[in-house]
Amino acid sequence: MSIALRPMTGGITYRRWAYLILGGALFVPYVLAGAVLLPLALIRVQYLFGNAVHLLLILLCVAILMVLTSFIPAVRTVEGAAVRELLGGPITEHGVGSARSWAARWRWTAWFVLHILVGGLVSLVTLFVPPMAVVSFTEPFVSNQNLGGLRLPQGHGVWRWVIPIGGILALICVIYAVAAAGAILARLAPIFLGPSAADRLAAAEDRARTLAQRNRLARELHDSVGHALSVVSIQAGAAGRVLDTDPEFARRALSAIEESARSAMTDLDHVLGLLREDAEDGSSRTPRSSLDALDELVASTELTGISVDLRVTGDLAAVPQVVSREAYRIVQEGLTNVLRHAGKVQVTVCVDVQPELLVELTMVNPLGNPGPAGHRLGRGGRGLPGMRERVTVLHGQLTAGAVGNEWRVNVILPLHLSAHA
Amino acid sequence: MSIGVLLVDDEDLIRAGLRAIIDAEADLSVLGEAGDGAQAVAKARALEPDVVLMDVRMPAVDGIQATRHILDNQPRPPKIIVVTTFENDDYVYDALRAGANGFLLKRSRPAEIVQAIRAVVAGDSLLFPAKIRALAERNRPQQPPAGRAMAKLTDREADVLRLMSTGLSNAEIAGELVVSLQTVKTHVGNVLGKLGARDRTQAVIVAYESGFIQPR
Repeated sequence: MSIALRPMTGGITYRRWAYLILGGALFVPYVLAGAVLLPLALIRVQYLFGNAVHLLLILLCVAILMVLTSFIPAVRTVEGAAVRELLGGPITEHGVGSARSWAARWRWTAWFVLHILVGGLVSLVTLFVPPMAVVSFTEPFVSNQNLGGLRLPQGHGVWRWVIPIGGILALICVIYAVAAAGAILARLAPIFLGPSAADRLAAAEDRARTLAQRNRLARELHDSVGHALSVVSIQAGAAGRVLDTDPEFARRALSAIEESARSAMTDLDHVLGLLREDAEDGSSRTPRSSLDALDELVASTELTGISVDLRVTGDLAAVPQVVSREAYRIVQEGLTNVLRHAGKVQVTVCVDVQPELLVELTMVNPLGNPGPAGHRLGRGGRGLPGMRERVTVLHGQLTAGAVGNEWRVNVILPLHLSAHA
Repeated sequence: MSIGVLLVDDEDLIRAGLRAIIDAEADLSVLGEAGDGAQAVAKARALEPDVVLMDVRMPAVDGIQATRHILDNQPRPPKIIVVTTFENDDYVYDALRAGANGFLLKRSRPAEIVQAIRAVVAGDSLLFPAKIRALAERNRPQQPPAGRAMAKLTDREADVLRLMSTGLSNAEIAGELVVSLQTVKTHVGNVLGKLGARDRTQAVIVAYESGFIQPR
């Protein structure tokens, strides 16, 4: 009994009803186009080829309009949200797939058309049946009712109640019919909107990549930090044992411990840098700029009023991507700092690539009016500490400071980590 | 008569630390050092140590290969303790299967390190039974390979094997079973013989792998 009543009492029926009404609302413009605009626009066709061709052409145009609408990405976004929030069902577990391939796009189109046609029908019934039901309730009490131009016979005795009961039954039928339509659509949604094979493949590749990255990090930690900490614990243990008998060994052990701990910290920096890189890669799909894009960076910087003198020596293509991207960000942060601390001044940026060895970045600008640079770091961007962090990750060197009345930043990045590890 | 130890590790600082710890003990002395597996094999033959502390991960010839080579080719092979950075290291289990007598974490306390060397020479108790159990559980084969050998054990020998796997020494097993120490030694000898095991570490690994002992 409760199962039989569920379509009437369950909230999901009414949410799906709203989804179908939404489809009906989307149907209205096409009805207007098909009933008013297109017949007028195509009136000559009617004269030349007759009614049948005219009607066929109108339907064709409406269909084309629907298909074109469905190709708009924003429409897919809204439709996807409506399906998730209002229609519900299995699609909420599968997730709505992206329309990357044409096959996927056509499936979206088919769904869109299905939605507005079924929605249009349901909306029509919704507009018609409930008001009629309400009117039918008054039937026993009012004589000579006029129901939409239909004159109902006046019943007598028990027969007076036939029409209101019919109204209630019609209302219940509509609820069940809408519930059924909603349930069928919800069942069908994954077929039309679910992730395609390509989507699933992309997701699997993403997972594999994440796993590979995690393994790479585990290996890095194992090799570098684990190793260094082993040295630290064994040397410290040994030093403790021989502290009295062999102070010279203990002294050497302490300095070995210091060195190992320091190199472990550097390696940790490096691994954390890789982690951050992974996180950044994951959060934004847009490729990050590298030194190749320096010209654009200079152009956009000059819009702010700074004038940049860019001098590149050596082959930028010889710089590995990881180093190149970080170098770009370092220059970017440097220029931001100039604007923040020195104002609209002339900056000289030198990029010198020495093949197989290193890339050297030098940025020189006059100290501006706002006071010596470096004093107001930590406002907004990450400034010098941020640059230093990037440099450390790549095992490079950074020097920054005032030389005469100029501010000078010099960064040296090794092109290959192993060269300095 | 002190226990002679050979240190094998590709990192100088690890060897120097272990040497200081071991040489500080009156009954232990470091006979020599080796920086990789190949050197380890040569030095083990030349110096005839009682115990080799063997790093597993080394360039060229690793600790597993060196262990196998020393145990197979030397007439009176030394006891071998595998030394590792991490306990969840599949290499360690491979080295134990190759015949190593026990394993030691590099982060062990000095007292644990020297205790492990003494225990492996005495040979009457298992090093780190819980960790060997964990390793055996992770590396458990699908098909028990030595089930038939296990069937040949008498009930008493099976009891002794079970107690061995929990890390009890011969004296402790004697106390547990209320028999003489000599009886326990006989049982242990029979167990090793029937399982074709070099020592109790090997016997316990066979016991886990055959499903004779259920890891938990």
